[in-house]
Amino acid sequence: MSASGRTSSAAVPLARRRFLTGVAAGAAALAAGGCARGASTSAQPGTTSISNDNATWDDGYRAAGRELKKITGYTLRPLSNPSVTSYQQVVQMTLQTSKSSDLVKWASGYQLKRLARAGGLTDLTPVWKGYAAKGWVRGTSRESVSYRGKVFGIPLYESYYVLFYSKPVFGKLGLSAPSSWDELLHCAEVLKRNKITPFLASQVGGWPAIEWFQELVSKVDPGFYQQLVAGEASYTDDRARRAMDIWHDFMRKGWMTSPDFDQARGPGALKEGTVGMFLHGTWQASGMSAAGMKPGTDYGAFILPTVRPASQKSVIAESGVFVVPSRASSHEAAMANVGAWLDPAVQRVWSDFLQDSSANPKVRASNPVVASLQRDIARNRRTALVRYWEASPPSLIQGNTNDLGGFMAGQTSPATTLRRMQERAHDEWAAWKRDEA
Amino acid sequence: MAPAVLLVTLFLLAPFVWTVYRSFFSDTRTSPFSWFDNYSLFASDPALSRSIQNTLMWVLGTVALPFVLGLAIACMTNAGRFSRLARLCVVLPYALSGSAVAVVWNFMLTTDGAVNQVLTGLGLDSLAQGWLLTWPGNTVVMILANAWQATGVAVILFLVGLQSIPPETLEAGALDGASGWQQFRHIVLPQLRPVSIIVIGMSLVNGLKSFDLIWVLTQGGPGRATETLAVSMYNETFLELRPGAGAAIAVVLTVIVLAASWLYLRRQLDVKGV
Repeated sequence: MSASGRTSSAAVPLARRRFLTGVAAGAAALAAGGCARGASTSAQPGTTSISNDNATWDDGYRAAGRELKKITGYTLRPLSNPSVTSYQQVVQMTLQTSKSSDLVKWASGYQLKRLARAGGLTDLTPVWKGYAAKGWVRGTSRESVSYRGKVFGIPLYESYYVLFYSKPVFGKLGLSAPSSWDELLHCAEVLKRNKITPFLASQVGGWPAIEWFQELVSKVDPGFYQQLVAGEASYTDDRARRAMDIWHDFMRKGWMTSPDFDQARGPGALKEGTVGMFLHGTWQASGMSAAGMKPGTDYGAFILPTVRPASQKSVIAESGVFVVPSRASSHEAAMANVGAWLDPAVQRVWSDFLQDSSANPKVRASNPVVASLQRDIARNRRTALVRYWEASPPSLIQGNTNDLGGFMAGQTSPATTLRRMQERAHDEWAAWKRDEA
Repeated sequence: MAPAVLLVTLFLLAPFVWTVYRSFFSDTRTSPFSWFDNYSLFASDPALSRSIQNTLMWVLGTVALPFVLGLAIACMTNAGRFSRLARLCVVLPYALSGSAVAVVWNFMLTTDGAVNQVLTGLGLDSLAQGWLLTWPGNTVVMILANAWQATGVAVILFLVGLQSIPPETLEAGALDGASGWQQFRHIVLPQLRPVSIIVIGMSLVNGLKSFDLIWVLTQGGPGRATETLAVSMYNETFLELRPGAGAAIAVVLTVIVLAASWLYLRRQLDVKGV
């Protein structure tokens, strides 16, 4: 080999060595970064970490954590991942590791059942029993936080699906919150005549497409809704068709916003008077405040009336839960905090932050609009129905939500949409039951 | 070689082999071997059929539009008084991320967005519509939005190509009496062939794997009307919780990208490289 060749061959390994050193250094830096990230879920004295998919709630967790510390000695340390999709993936993966956070916010119902079925969650039945003995939980909620008879989630909050409306706009047009279906239709007609879109309906982000479906089906027949989501009734039933026809009719009349209307703009649209009524969870009350609207003065809320006066009254309820990974970094502290979460002193702070109803029925909401809704639910003995998102197997819900989004955009007729939903329900319930067996 | 082979094997080949393996198992809890069941979804699931249609539209759109627009803009801005400024305006969107582009276009294209407001302001109410709501219009406007961004890189590449053309060849053509169009058709265009191959090849692959713009603008919706194969793969795996079906889509998409790239480059590149 020539001298130049030797030089060249000596230079190449040197360059390669440098390159490999660089790669190794980069990998080490990444690993260190990963460890640093993992360290945030590792045990820290006097705190319990909580994985959360809503960063705007962080201050609320910290405030509730200060109350918890007085009882248990541990505060709450929120770790937020605002993308719901990536949050779900991260939680499901970390549950299998030793880097799991101490508490995890999750959905109830079948979302929780699926997580519990995969293993890695602590049985919270004794905690539930303690709460039940004090009357701090609703007995009717137990099924939605259980899997195979064991409780795996402690209610984090309880929200109801209601129609928010602008009091000044209604007052100006001589309208009041409707208490019957005919009154609701009258409100919509008057609003439309005054160039105000009566109802906000959206499929932006996917899941909002379920809101009008669950609401209308349950207000046609709440018993049918319960059977439908339990896989005991067909989506092609006349009652489901009736609900979809009403929805279709509302859209045809121009009573609903375009499906690409972002719900985040809902409070602003109510305030401006461009939208008349906004169907959403009561947790939206904090969004109303953020838009500068005062409860009871600038906005009110009512539960959608039943289509027929004789129908059983109901309300769609949503309840998030806390779960405790069995490999939580500070398991003992997590159990202490989850055991004191529904204490009225903690819930007072938490409910005030959310401006929503507490999962503890003994804690009254301080927001007068939500408190009024709570009284309505109690007075009318409304049946609390599990929100559609949590009420059936997740794969079924996700597919049907897509179909409802297509329906809202005018891609499919009511009949076609329901037929597709039924076909999916048939397959997915069979798969769920097969897996359970 | 060995470390490079190791890295490629570890980070590229092994995940791909695992993906192929996973695609042959069902998505039930016990995940039994299911032969080609996941692949049969392409025949039975209308959402996947629509996804393939959309992917083809994206490929056509992302190849044709950046090529034609990029070439036209490069030729027009190659010389001239305001050419640098014009070039900057066209190239600037390329520096933006796909997600940022999508946010801007979302502001434009929603039913109560800027485009419809302008149309209404001009008295053209009948043209105002839900641009992102109905198929195939929603896919077409997203392809146009993508072209707005992707044209920048095509312009850069064509400008490099144009500046490497020897001026003598054009002068010779002019002396022989060739018109402007004839010079472009018979002198410029043949000499831009190597650059054209790169532009089309890049656009082809970008079209097949388009994801970010669609995800931010519509998340594949309404329903699943605007999904491409890349979006369907994500949707099946992470939202519908069917990793087997998602793996099958990933395998099909990879095969299509590799086959298209190989067939195209094999035809275009000769032994010397170009």
